[in-house]
Amino acid sequence: MKTIIEPFRIKSVEPIRMTTPGQREEVLREAGFNLFLISAENVLIDLLTDSGTGAMSAEQWAGIMRGDESYAGASSFYRFQDRIQELTGFRHVLPTHQGRASERILFELVGGPDKVVPNNTHFDTTRANVEHSGAKAVDLSIPEVRDPKNRHPFKGNMDVAALERLIREVGRERIPVVMVTVTNNSGGGQPVSMENLRAVRAVCDKHKLPLFLDACRFAENAYLIKRREPGMANRSVREIVHEMFALADGATISAKKDGLVNIGGLLLLRDEQLFQQACNLLILTEGFITYGGLAGRDLEAMAQGFEEVVHEDYLAYRIRSVEYLGEKLLAAGIPIVEPPGGHAIYIDAGAMCPHIPREQFPGQALVCGLYRVGGIRAVEIGSVMFGATASPPLELVRLAMPRRVYTQSHIDYVIEAAAELAAKKKELRGLKFTHEPPVLRHFTARFEEI
Amino acid sequence: MNKRSWAEPFKIKMVEHLRMTTPEEREAAIREAGYNTFLLRSRDVYIDLLTDSGTNAMSDRQWAGMMLGDEAYAGSENFYHLEDAVHKYYGYKHLIPTHQGRGAEHILSRLCIKPGDFVPGNMYFTTTKAHQELVGGQFVDVICDEAHDSQSEAPFKGNIDLGKLARLVDEHGPSKIAYLCVGATVNMAGGQPVSLANMRDVSTLCRSRGVKVFLDATRAVENCYFIKQREPGCADRTLTDILKELCSYSDGCTMSGKKDCLVNIGGFLAVNDDDLADAARNMVVLYEGLHTYGGLAGRDLEAMAIGIEESVSWDHMHARIGQVQYLGELLRKADVPIVQPIGGHGIFLDAARFLPNISREQFPAQALAAALYVDSGVRGMERGAVSAGRDKKTGQSIYPKLELVRLTLPRRVYTQAHMDVTAESVLSLLEQRDKIVGLRFTYEPKHLRFFQARFEPVTGERVLIN
Repeated sequence: MKTIIEPFRIKSVEPIRMTTPGQREEVLREAGFNLFLISAENVLIDLLTDSGTGAMSAEQWAGIMRGDESYAGASSFYRFQDRIQELTGFRHVLPTHQGRASERILFELVGGPDKVVPNNTHFDTTRANVEHSGAKAVDLSIPEVRDPKNRHPFKGNMDVAALERLIREVGRERIPVVMVTVTNNSGGGQPVSMENLRAVRAVCDKHKLPLFLDACRFAENAYLIKRREPGMANRSVREIVHEMFALADGATISAKKDGLVNIGGLLLLRDEQLFQQACNLLILTEGFITYGGLAGRDLEAMAQGFEEVVHEDYLAYRIRSVEYLGEKLLAAGIPIVEPPGGHAIYIDAGAMCPHIPREQFPGQALVCGLYRVGGIRAVEIGSVMFGATASPPLELVRLAMPRRVYTQSHIDYVIEAAAELAAKKKELRGLKFTHEPPVLRHFTARFEEI
Repeated sequence: MNKRSWAEPFKIKMVEHLRMTTPEEREAAIREAGYNTFLLRSRDVYIDLLTDSGTNAMSDRQWAGMMLGDEAYAGSENFYHLEDAVHKYYGYKHLIPTHQGRGAEHILSRLCIKPGDFVPGNMYFTTTKAHQELVGGQFVDVICDEAHDSQSEAPFKGNIDLGKLARLVDEHGPSKIAYLCVGATVNMAGGQPVSLANMRDVSTLCRSRGVKVFLDATRAVENCYFIKQREPGCADRTLTDILKELCSYSDGCTMSGKKDCLVNIGGFLAVNDDDLADAARNMVVLYEGLHTYGGLAGRDLEAMAIGIEESVSWDHMHARIGQVQYLGELLRKADVPIVQPIGGHGIFLDAARFLPNISREQFPAQALAAALYVDSGVRGMERGAVSAGRDKKTGQSIYPKLELVRLTLPRRVYTQAHMDVTAESVLSLLEQRDKIVGLRFTYEPKHLRFFQARFEPVTGERVLIN
């Protein structure tokens, strides 16, 4: 079936404000050409991120009303804990206010100077937390990732031979955890296969290293395994999810993605001692162990969200909507990372704008162009986001799809705006910093056009 | 004279059911919780006076605001509403939202404290002190002596002792003082307020020596209520006006919105200094979230903005503190030893005098809190030796002068009848005080031990013999 059918109807709407090209020009200049700094009311279609921007269901809103706000031992916590234990098989479940807090706690405990953390590809906050602890973050993606046209079905995979080499080179004692990000966000929202996860697990077993998942988009990854991996078609997403988590010793999760909520995160652990240490840090910086810095109602919304996200009709709709956008952009001659990933389409800005050198941030230039043309907010994933500490393989622009928020008409509008921009891409101009913050610079940096 | 009672300036729009339990069920529940009220499940609690933090009932306007949450990752409308509210009522220049108060404390401590620095304050608070120590600072108590005397009726027992503060600065030099942290009101002293005059003098002293002042503004509006009631020349001023002046004597504040701001989650750091604000914005991204949401959903920013406006209303605050005083008066008239004068957010039972037969080493406050739960399902919190923890250098348990059980009142949640039940239970315990048994640790965590510690009765199987 080609048509996108949403497995829901709309219960509550949020008006969006139309803007004129003149207004958008002014807004863009005021924000120093950084769309993170634009106020949301000036955005028509917000594809900045799929994080925390999803629409909750009526059942989740009912949970919001039911939240038990007791400081300790709230019944909402126990409902949440039961749900996560059942879904993932992990016994120790800690709520955090969002994913980066889970990462911070993990790396404050296992990171530190001299340590090396391998990952298929670190996401920006993960990398920042690893490096903040003094450790080195190493990306070990498979070589196919560097070719955006390569349609490898599991471009999120970790390069297992490279992992072996790294362990040999630096020594296992310097590697506190091996981490795999599912799906691989910075690599184009690409899935990791079960076969690859098992192979990484085998290497970890051989060297007695713990394996952790950055599992923000575990359900999308599981669905893509079901769709693409031989022998997986007849297994349920639930079973696949269970096996993915069973292979790991722990996981950090931002629930703002596949938890289908606006706020919340988790840290899942098997090791008893690490769990006790994590509890102490959690209490100090997040909140007591039965609320983790969230309102009780947010725990309820997560409990329900983690149930809804593994429904296969939801995942079919979700993945198909992203594919649809990807197919149409390709048809309009816009180079994207292929095949389309789970939560976003990544435009290859380097290929699209060869006239802008990398030092002038072609991705950022394209992001500004999309805003000018259609009031669309996208995000650069390239030298602005990572260039301070690493050299990213590609200059990408991510169009991230919030879950259950936009209709096919919205997507068609985005496609038309992108096609219009592609027709006049020669007019796009590079950018340079006027303000460059020391950490996670892309959030608050300012630019001017060259 | 005819007595005029306060009444709640609201009616009830939504209710949450409570479960009644039997004494046997409660006995089993407290044993399973290791005689630590923190470890009880809320479904087993009848009246939950554990904390006033995040346990508030929001208004229908706040719930309406929740529906208007703009969940955009960057530049959410709700952020600008909150920014306006903080400017208008607290007056600081820069706002950095955080997921809750300790998120703001974490950032302030990391930015302003160097290893070996001293951080003076008006009595410690558990998480605040832990953050200061985490980055190598050392907390120094500079509160006035009256604060440590539960029977002193001084009107502003939260005041800073200017002599103690000046001596500390003179002894170590201003460069070794990270900043002065002023809690208003002072939680561990029993919710006691700081006077405007004291803040003014503190500010003069600190500015002349180049020491920064940060307010822990969590219950600053409650503090302003006491200023209006007790401080000469303030009776005719509005809470808004007093709050603005109080904040003007500081360089910024940390805020847990879960108290005064009438929300269930949220906090912020507010500062006047541009460079500090910049540094804080860079750090908030790492720990909390982008600086326009700080780790909160958009709807939570909106609820906090509306909550701030509701919190400075006289009618609200009068009913809020009126309820605390109602419970306090019931206990005081029956000669229950409590911290005087009655503070802003709860009643603090003086457990050392309540249970003179239980030695400090057997944690009378912990035992009293457990016994109160067994008697009636009321959940309070120990604020004494267990909370104070161990001395970092000697490893010995600290026995603070105050050994208290805190009965904290959530805002707009419980009725007068709930207060009556609570008072009756405390009175009945006072009558059978010799049936309460002291406790000893069976598990003692290293940091912030009160949260997760477990105990057992020193003799027998019960904390309350019947």
